Amino acid sequence: MNTLWPVALITFKEGIRNRALYGITLLALLFFIANFLISGMFMQEVGKVAIDIALSAVSLSGLLLVLFVGINLMAKDLDKKTIYMVLSRPISRSQYILGKFLGMALLIITTMVFLSVCAALSIQLIKMVYPNYFPRFSWPMILLALSFNTLSMILLSALAFFFASFTSTSFITLVLTVIVYIIGQSLSDVKALVDAPQTVGIHVSAATVKLVQLAYYLFPNLSVFNLKIQAAHSLFLPASYILWTVTYGLIYTALAITGAAIIFRLREFP
Amino acid sequence: MIKLTNISKEFKEGIQAKKIKAIDDLVLEVQKGEVFGFLGPNGAGKSTTIKILVNLIRPDKGKALIMDRDVNDTAVRKHVGYLPENPYFYDYLTAEELLWFGGKTTGLSATAIKNRADELFQKVNLENARKRQLRTYSKGMLQRAGLALSLIHDPDVAILDEPMSGLDPLGRKMVGDVILELKARGKTIFFSSHILTDVERFCDRVGIIVAGRLRLVDRLDNLLVGNTKLEDVFLREVEKAGGGIEI
Repeated sequence: MNTLWPVALITFKEGIRNRALYGITLLALLFFIANFLISGMFMQEVGKVAIDIALSAVSLSGLLLVLFVGINLMAKDLDKKTIYMVLSRPISRSQYILGKFLGMALLIITTMVFLSVCAALSIQLIKMVYPNYFPRFSWPMILLALSFNTLSMILLSALAFFFASFTSTSFITLVLTVIVYIIGQSLSDVKALVDAPQTVGIHVSAATVKLVQLAYYLFPNLSVFNLKIQAAHSLFLPASYILWTVTYGLIYTALAITGAAIIFRLREFP
Repeated sequence: MIKLTNISKEFKEGIQAKKIKAIDDLVLEVQKGEVFGFLGPNGAGKSTTIKILVNLIRPDKGKALIMDRDVNDTAVRKHVGYLPENPYFYDYLTAEELLWFGGKTTGLSATAIKNRADELFQKVNLENARKRQLRTYSKGMLQRAGLALSLIHDPDVAILDEPMSGLDPLGRKMVGDVILELKARGKTIFFSSHILTDVERFCDRVGIIVAGRLRLVDRLDNLLVGNTKLEDVFLREVEKAGGGIEI
């Protein structure tokens, strides 16, 4: 802990002061203001639209945070050789990875809490103006959707760390992270399609089924963290789903960071 | 204090992974309290040797020890201060936070860090810029901040890779004064430099490495007899090795 905390703290400070973060936050705030205007244009389902836009704005900001601030926090250490300064201290490579990741997780949580409060404010304002359009409304579901989104961003940043542990430039890390994000978001739908192709009248070869099944177990299923629809419609969610998803997110994150630490221990910095 | 035994290191280069020998069977020992100048043309293997000493690179063969402990041992770096060549730090941190980081990771208390930072900022002449973010620093100022960071925990061994690089004459004098002060306090200093006049001023012994092989190690007073300058010795060794002259 003696060395983890300093690494985590400088990572957090470096991230929170990054100007890109201000840009991302500003974009989200603009979305929240736009939410007020856009929702008002729908004279039906105002509540659902408002919740959907607010949660999407937080999701998008979280994704931009991981891709454009988070990746740089580690990859820049390698690109710019800042890592020389860190690893020449009495810090092991595993401690470096863990400390960096803790700093990044802290940055994601801080930013997400701030944006979630803004999102909640924007929903509350719209609810006050159009009270009749929120017949089934649940703050706990919105809070859960925001928390799950935060967890998915922490998982994605763990994967970015994993890629950064063996790639040579931040660009490759960025590309790999984006690919995994896209696969992770669409994996459930693709699997559902290959599991029951007759429902849409297509034929899927056995090899494709195997490939999709392999991808399903290899890549993170990020869609399980997406609770926008459930929040917008205030749908019931069983406690087992919540527990399973949190456990899944934490285990996947732990595996990605452990993998990053193992690879990083073998790496050299010429 | 520093012991390198039969160190060899190869790098793979290009698509065909052609092997390039960076260091070849390097044997070297630096005693406690000694100032050792490590010289060589560009690409001779100086920085590679230094990176092996701080465990950024692992040797293919041989052993590197500091204070009789393998450089793999994380704890040994509590006693080592390292200034990389052309240091680059976190853009949005202040120099004060950088030194806090250096102090914390070596187990210093908050008070000890503050006292030591006050002393070092004065020494490297960054007193007025200590609260500024490092992205606003010039190359020379970054070099000074790096020197302060490498010394925050008062290490027994200072490993400085081109410490004069990017510094104006005042900065060079400041680094020289710091090295001499460390020497007076019995610290061990291992530094590489292309500025031979500085090496002549501070070093007890020098080593000249060319194309990965250590060609000469000797005391300066043995080398600089009569009118012989270090530059003459350096050029002679490089030519003898057939490595061309690139200072």
